[in-house]
Amino acid sequence: MTATLACAALFALTGALFLVPLIPAIVELRLKRDAKALNVIQQYAGDIRHFSQGFRSYTADLLEPLRECVSSGGTATGTLPHGDQCLLLGSPDAAELLQPGSTDNTCDFVVLAGANITLPGGITFTKELFASRQITAGERCTYRAILCDSDVRLGRASHVSRWAHAAGKFQAGENCDLFGRISSEREIELLPGCVFQRLNAPRIAFGAVNETQEREPSIAISSEALNKGIAATRQLVDNDLEIAPGAVIAASIVTRGNLTIGAGARILGSAKSHKQMTLGQGALVAGSLISVSTIHIGANCEVAGPVIAEHGLEIESGTHCGTTQKPTTVSAPTIQIEEGAVVYGTIWARQEGQVLPCK
Amino acid sequence: MVYCLFAIVGIISLYTARHYWFTLNRLFGFQRHPYIDTDTADWPQVTVLVAAHNEEKVVSHILAALMSVNYPREKMLVVPVNDRSTDRTREIIDQFCLEHPGRIRPFHRTAGKGGKAAALKDAMELVDTEVILIFDADYIPGAGLIKQLVAPFFDPEVGGVMGRVVPLNVGTNLLTRLLDLERSGGYQVDQQARMNLQLVPQHGGTVAGVRLSALREIGGWNDNSLTEDTDLTYRLLLYGWKTVYQNRSECYEEVPETWQVRIKQIMRWAKGHNQALATYGFRLLFGKHRATLRERIDGFFLLGVYIMAPLTLLGWLLALAVFYEGIAPLHGVIALLSITAYSAVGNFAAFFEIAAAVRLDYTRQRVCLLPFLILGFGVSIFSVSRAFISQLMAPLTGAQFHWDKTERFRTTP
Repeated sequence: MTATLACAALFALTGALFLVPLIPAIVELRLKRDAKALNVIQQYAGDIRHFSQGFRSYTADLLEPLRECVSSGGTATGTLPHGDQCLLLGSPDAAELLQPGSTDNTCDFVVLAGANITLPGGITFTKELFASRQITAGERCTYRAILCDSDVRLGRASHVSRWAHAAGKFQAGENCDLFGRISSEREIELLPGCVFQRLNAPRIAFGAVNETQEREPSIAISSEALNKGIAATRQLVDNDLEIAPGAVIAASIVTRGNLTIGAGARILGSAKSHKQMTLGQGALVAGSLISVSTIHIGANCEVAGPVIAEHGLEIESGTHCGTTQKPTTVSAPTIQIEEGAVVYGTIWARQEGQVLPCK
Repeated sequence: MVYCLFAIVGIISLYTARHYWFTLNRLFGFQRHPYIDTDTADWPQVTVLVAAHNEEKVVSHILAALMSVNYPREKMLVVPVNDRSTDRTREIIDQFCLEHPGRIRPFHRTAGKGGKAAALKDAMELVDTEVILIFDADYIPGAGLIKQLVAPFFDPEVGGVMGRVVPLNVGTNLLTRLLDLERSGGYQVDQQARMNLQLVPQHGGTVAGVRLSALREIGGWNDNSLTEDTDLTYRLLLYGWKTVYQNRSECYEEVPETWQVRIKQIMRWAKGHNQALATYGFRLLFGKHRATLRERIDGFFLLGVYIMAPLTLLGWLLALAVFYEGIAPLHGVIALLSITAYSAVGNFAAFFEIAAAVRLDYTRQRVCLLPFLILGFGVSIFSVSRAFISQLMAPLTGAQFHWDKTERFRTTP
C-alpha cells in the first residue's frame, strides 16, 4: 500500500467516523418523521366543561331512543360509535344496571337514564353515566364520569374518578372523593370530609352554609378597581409587614416578607407576599390575594379577586371569595377549606383540596 | 495574554454552569405556573396591539384568530398598529374593521421614526386600559391565550408577561428545524427555569403583555432601543416590577426560512442586547433599585449572552496564540484534566439543554438533529461577533442603525 493510499484511507475513515453521529440527523432531515409544529392547543381544552361537552356530543344520537324508552317505561341496550355497550333506562328502576348474576356490583354499560333515578349504594360504574333528570345516589358508589341535566346528589363516601357536570345543583355527602373536574351550572355543595381537585359553579358552598353566613358581599369589584388605577397604585415593602386591625389601605400591597392583615382591615387594592400571608377575621380585600408561599384566610373574610397561593391555602368558615356577579378563581396546590366558606366561580387544588368541619 | 484567556474560560464556565443549573431545575425542580389556573375572573379591559409593517401575507390570520378568542368581547379591543405599510396591510385591516364593528380600532401610521418601539409609542394614544397585550403580526393566538396572558396582571407586582413562542413552519428546511430546537431550549428550559428560580424571565415583545401604569412609571416605550423587549425587561426590573413567563401560554409564530433573514434577525437582537448591556448593566449590578441579588446576577448574565460570541472567538484566537508562543499556561496534568472535563461536560451544555427541552415537549425524533446545531452555532457566533464589531465601530464610521423588518414566508393560513 502506498503512503498516498494510506493517507487517503485514513482521511476516509476519519471522515466516516465523523459522519456516524450525523446519520440519524440526516435520516431525520430527509424523512421528516418529527417535523410538524408542536401541538399548541388552539381550542380551549382547559375549559372545565370540555369533557362533559364531548360526552354530550358523543351520546347525542341516543337521546331520541332514550325518549322512546321513557314513553314506554322500558329499557334498551345498544352500542356506541366507539364500541361501548350502552343501557337506556326509561324508568326510575335501577335494577337493570347490574347484569344478572353479577356479584361485584359493577355496571359496565354507558348508562343513559331518562327519568329521575335513584341508585342503590355500593355500585361501581366503569363507564359514564348520563341522566336527563335528577340523580339521587346511595353511599359508596364509584363513578367514572357523570353528566346530568338536572340535580345530582351523591351519597357519602362516593368516588368520582374523572369528571362530573350537572346542569342543576351538585351535592356530595360527607367523605366523597371528587377527582378531576366537577362543575355545575347552578351550585356545588360539598360536605366535610370531601376531597376535591377542580370545582366550578356560580356558587360553591362548603358544608351547609347557614343563613347568617349567606350574606351579600360588600366588597368593591376587582376589575373596576384595576381599571381605575386603585390596584395599580402599589406599595412595595422589602420586609415583613403587619397591617393593623381595622386599618384601611387605599392601594395594593407587595411585601417580600410575611404579610399579616389584621382583623377587620380593608385593602382597597390587591395584596401580595413573597412569604406567608395571614388574613385576620373579617378582613376585606377588593382585589386579589397572591402569595409565593402560603395563605391563611381567617373566618368571615371577603376577597373579590383571584386567590393564588403557590404552596398552600387555608380558608376558614364564613369567608367568601368572589361574588355572584363577579366570580373568581381560588387556586393552590393544596387547599383546606372549612365548612361555611363560599367560593363563587372556580376553586382549583392541583394536588388535593379538603373540606374540613367547622372548628 | 494567558490571564486574559483564563478570564474568558472562567466566564464561559460560568455560562456552562448556568446552562446545567437551568436544565436540571427544569427536569427535577419545583415548577412554577402560579397564574395558569385562573380560568374564572372578573376579567379587566384589555387592549391587544398588533404590530404590523408590510404584513399583507399574515395580518389577516392574526386578526381572524383574535376575533375568535374566548375573552369577553366587550372587554377586548384590538388595535392593529399599521406602521407605514406600503403593501395591502391597511386595506386588509380596514376590511376586518368593517366586518367586526367596535372590536377593532386601527392605528394607521404614515410617517415618523422607524421601528416597532416607535410605532407602539405612537399607538399608545389609543390605549386607556390597564392591561396591554402585544403580538407581532405573524403570530396566531389560540382561543384561550388572551385570558392566560391577562391572568398574571391580577398580581400587583407583575408589570410584564411573556408567553411561549412555538414555530409553525418547522418542517420547511434545515434552518427552520434548527430554529425550532433553539426556541424549544430557550423557552421550555431557559425561560421556565428563570421563572421557577424567581430570576429574570425575558419579555419578548410579542405573545406578551405589559401593565399600563408600570409602562408609564418606567417612561413608556423607548424608541431609541433596538430591541424594545429587552429594554422593557430591564426597566421594569429596575423599578421593582416583575416580568413573568407562562410556558403553557403557547402561540405559533413563523421563523425565518433563509439564512440571510436569520442573520439579519440575530444581528439586530445582538445589537439591541448589547445596547441594553451598555445602558443598564452597571446600574443593574451595583445601582440602588428594587431588584433582588439573584435578579441582579441573573439579569447581568442574561444581558451578556450576546457578548459571549465575540468573547469565544477571542478565546479561540488567544488559545492559538498561546500555543504558537509555546506558553504552557497550566501544568500538563491539570491542563489535560481541564480539557477532558470541559470536553466531556462543558461543550455539551447547550445541547443538553435543548435535548431536555425536546423531551419535555414529548417529541422524540427531532432530537436526532442536535449535531446540526453546530452549524447554527457557527453562523450565530460569526454573525453576533460581526454585529458587535460593527457596533463598536459605529462611532468611528458614523453608521446609523436602521430597523430591519423580518421577512415573512407564509403563503397559506
